[in-house]
Amino acid sequence: MSGPPIPNAPTAEGRPAGSIASVFGPIGAALAPVRRTLSYLEVDTRLLGMVLALAVIWVSFDLVSGGTFLSPRNLWNLSVQSSSIAIMATGMVLVIVSRGIDLSVGSMLGFLGYTMAMTQAVWIPQALGLGFDRPYTWIIAVVVGVALGAVIGGLQGFVIAYGGVPSFIVTLGGLLVWRGLIFRYAQGQTIAPLDQNFQMLGGGTVGTRVGALGEWASWILGAVICVAIVYTLITGRRRRRRYGFPNRPLWAEAMLGLAGCAVALGVMWVANSYPLPINVALQYGQEHGITPPPGGLIIPTGLAFPVVIMLGVTVVMTFIASRRRFGRYVYAIGGNPEAAALAGINVRRTLMLTFSLMGALVALSAAVQTARLDAAVTNLGVQNELDVISAAVIGGTSFAGGIGTIPGAILGAVVMQSLRSGMVLLLVDSPTQDIVVGIVLVAAVGLDTALRRRTT
Amino acid sequence: MSRRFVVLAATLMLIVSACGGTGTSGTTTAPAATTAPVAVATTAAPTAAPPCTVGVSWNNYQEERWAKWDEPAIKAAIAAGGGKYISNDAKSSAETQASNVDNLISQGAKVVIVLAQDGTAIKPSVAKAIQNGVAVIAYDRLIEDPKALYITFDNVLVGKLEAQSVFAAKASGNYVIIKGNKADANADFLRGGYDQVIKAAVTSGAIKIVGETYTDNWDPAKAQTEMEQFLTANSNKVDAVLSENDGMAGGVVAALTAQGLAGKVPVSGQDGDKAALNRIALGTQTVDVWKDSRALGKSAGEAAMQLCKNSDITKVTGTAPFTTPGGNTVSSILLQPDPITSANLKDVLDAGWITKADLCQGVAAGKNASCN
Amino acid sequence: MSAMPAPVPPRVPLAELRDIQVSFGGVRAVDGVTVDVYPGEVVGLVGGNGAGKSTLIRTLSGARPPDSGQIRVSGQAVTIANPRDAKALGIETIYQTLALADNLDAPANVFLGRELTATGTLNDAAMESATRKVISRLNPNFKNFKMPVLRLSGGQRQAVAIARAIHFNARVLIMDEPTAALGPAETAQVHALVEQLKRDGIGIFLISHDIHDVFDLSDRISVMYHGKLVGTVKKEEITTDEVLGMIILGKPPTKLTAQELAELRSPAG
Repeated sequence: MSGPPIPNAPTAEGRPAGSIASVFGPIGAALAPVRRTLSYLEVDTRLLGMVLALAVIWVSFDLVSGGTFLSPRNLWNLSVQSSSIAIMATGMVLVIVSRGIDLSVGSMLGFLGYTMAMTQAVWIPQALGLGFDRPYTWIIAVVVGVALGAVIGGLQGFVIAYGGVPSFIVTLGGLLVWRGLIFRYAQGQTIAPLDQNFQMLGGGTVGTRVGALGEWASWILGAVICVAIVYTLITGRRRRRRYGFPNRPLWAEAMLGLAGCAVALGVMWVANSYPLPINVALQYGQEHGITPPPGGLIIPTGLAFPVVIMLGVTVVMTFIASRRRFGRYVYAIGGNPEAAALAGINVRRTLMLTFSLMGALVALSAAVQTARLDAAVTNLGVQNELDVISAAVIGGTSFAGGIGTIPGAILGAVVMQSLRSGMVLLLVDSPTQDIVVGIVLVAAVGLDTALRRRTT
Repeated sequence: MSRRFVVLAATLMLIVSACGGTGTSGTTTAPAATTAPVAVATTAAPTAAPPCTVGVSWNNYQEERWAKWDEPAIKAAIAAGGGKYISNDAKSSAETQASNVDNLISQGAKVVIVLAQDGTAIKPSVAKAIQNGVAVIAYDRLIEDPKALYITFDNVLVGKLEAQSVFAAKASGNYVIIKGNKADANADFLRGGYDQVIKAAVTSGAIKIVGETYTDNWDPAKAQTEMEQFLTANSNKVDAVLSENDGMAGGVVAALTAQGLAGKVPVSGQDGDKAALNRIALGTQTVDVWKDSRALGKSAGEAAMQLCKNSDITKVTGTAPFTTPGGNTVSSILLQPDPITSANLKDVLDAGWITKADLCQGVAAGKNASCN
Repeated sequence: MSAMPAPVPPRVPLAELRDIQVSFGGVRAVDGVTVDVYPGEVVGLVGGNGAGKSTLIRTLSGARPPDSGQIRVSGQAVTIANPRDAKALGIETIYQTLALADNLDAPANVFLGRELTATGTLNDAAMESATRKVISRLNPNFKNFKMPVLRLSGGQRQAVAIARAIHFNARVLIMDEPTAALGPAETAQVHALVEQLKRDGIGIFLISHDIHDVFDLSDRISVMYHGKLVGTVKKEEITTDEVLGMIILGKPPTKLTAQELAELRSPAG
């Protein structure tokens, strides 16, 4: 559970460093028992506040939409719609934590999506004459995309770190260059259709194949996550005991484990509650010789592949941020670049790698987006940089540097997408959506800043 | 109609290439064209009288379309009329274009065809040209000057044709309308065309619009999300989709595919995208309204040759008055776009717009006659 | 100008800076300075603002390599191009700014750049354990090991910075204004620590503007003036007034006139 230190996290002594409750004076006093419990649990109160805010948004939309918003189908869609931005937001957290910014992610996404589309729809099948929909095609396309993303990101990072050009300028240039290159080598054409296996990465449907885990694999993944949470808690506890540090009370530990498992299995339950659409299920029944029962054929869809990718990215990025030297250095550079250099950290190399990592993540998002759309279009990813930066910032990443968490950014992306798709569901038009999202962005950061000021 | 965006992006690209110091670029994408500021193509037929010179001011020649489709058609029409073709490229700069128009005139152009970078900024140059007895044709993009001839495709008609095909497939039920960028006037022209077809049915209640939204940047990914939400909100009870262009139609079809509805719900589009024409062959898109740029070029070239003889724009064959958004009445030639459906896919093949391999990729044998 | 002979001549200095030059633009911030430190010795480095003390010492800590001159550690000529090189040679620095990453907690700061790992991942528990041990030597009341150092008091932050320097078995310790942010009790703790480190055989360069600090702790005092070394003197052989004279007038005590000495005394009270 220990990540990079979070300013608002309770201390080892159990003193809540700053809970949401403390802001509201008298209410805070009434909530004292809650606060005490939270401090025993040592959970990040900031993150908890965001979860609560998200819950409020979800319940409100559900009430107004007459129960549609919290239907398994909408939640499944929402999870897919959020994943592309969420994947990139995890990288943006590290970029902003190290006091940088990457404005090029939207254009880079378009460029990488185009490259992957060309690889699978033109170069492999036509230029190399290997034909369409080969089993290896999607793997080559993704590897090419991720490698190119890492190189492009690393190139920008090199100019920033070793050339001393501000990241704002370099990536602003990148925003123009990568978008321009799409026109250069694709001449404004849409590349479609894409490889059928590749399409699975977007959670799409090809015939009766759906880009999702299906029922049993989803349950198994949920169980694995559950076991991993419990294992982490136990080893953490054991390690602290070995060094003679105080541990959480056992009941608190159990509560955390139970809550973690409940969330993991709950997500799978929702994903499995969304059955394949009737037409797809019917066709599936025909192909597999299943006679539909009277109530119709109900085949659980399971967790969508983009969400699986997002979860994988979250785990890996959280591990990098909190358990690897590289992540520690990124936070140290954000906290005090001079101190990091004096501590012997290779600041330039670390910064370059941060941008390279960002590029690789953009490639993954590009794969998800192009696969989902089953096409690479010239305006793929336009303005995504704004969504990605917003997600990171709503998730608590500070432009002052040194502060921000991966799970926060994921939540930020889900909050943003919840607002957007909730409003489309309620037939709110795009100008109004923009206004609402803009206000929420400023309000969220304003509230966060106010909270920090109180607790510092 | 993502042209506005294409122009913007091309502008940015130009800035970048200028920054990179490459200066005159464009050689990679413009096969036949010259990148020199002025291209001169003399006609083969030597006549006694000096040939009438027609100048074309391109706003950004680097875009594929102009070099590939429009310019050859204009050149051919001028050559057929015994004229002389000269041109220059403003490289997406409104200032450059203003001086380019002057340059064409000083090189002896009697007629100037302007593909405007900025329909307002170019007005002083156009007015000066007309005062000097030079006829001006506003090509594809409107110039708010009543003395300039406006040649374009009829955008309201594009919307009407889209709606007609979808309406023919589904005359009643739940409609979803996916519009383009809210800042783009064409989004509303197209929507106006839809109304000409479906308004009566909407009023009578036969058609219910269950979802309608603008889409930032004509972004297909956003259109896909919008369509997913409309399907969710209506428990898949959507009977037809009017999508204003092909890119967004792609997003709509992806959302329909996920629900097993692709091919069952009619979907419209325009632009003649290869991917969209492929969808028509596959049966997942109903109509693609195609605007053949070559017809536009031919029309402009022929009009220019007429203007060589008589600079009165109202006397050009096929003109009709057109009221602009700015309230001016200009003489215009509005070309008819072609609705492409599964029945007439042969047209785009015959026209050489798309190869059979691209059109028929993944199409099952016997599904469409044009793919046999 | 020549360095005083060491107490026991055959001993080799732990660290020597010889004829060091550092320029910024056209300005010579350090101009041909030579200083050294022996095991178990404290060398005070004093001078007015802009005398070049910090710049000189940054060449030893690796923060700014010298333009010319030689650095020797235990008699061996070495190249110190960056802080990592210095640390590898056992040279640790407590910077005046403390150089802490304010958003990280005490263990993360103590081990910054030298993290303990287990199977490739950070071993936070081991680092916290070690940090608790080393900081308890400096400040037994220190408890906030999981709090970002931003929210610690000045004294606690200083303790973190000192802990970082002494945990890794330093041979040479550079202390740049170590007591500037401290109250009397904490200052006394630092003094006790310096005595302890001396007994352990560590060589210490002590930079301070507080002449009493320097006199209390140093064995020898090197005085700088406008980038040049005025001289290095043994503490027992000089008075505070004479050192002040060196600092303010930039002359060795032998060249000070009686009148200059008198003038120095009167404003000092």
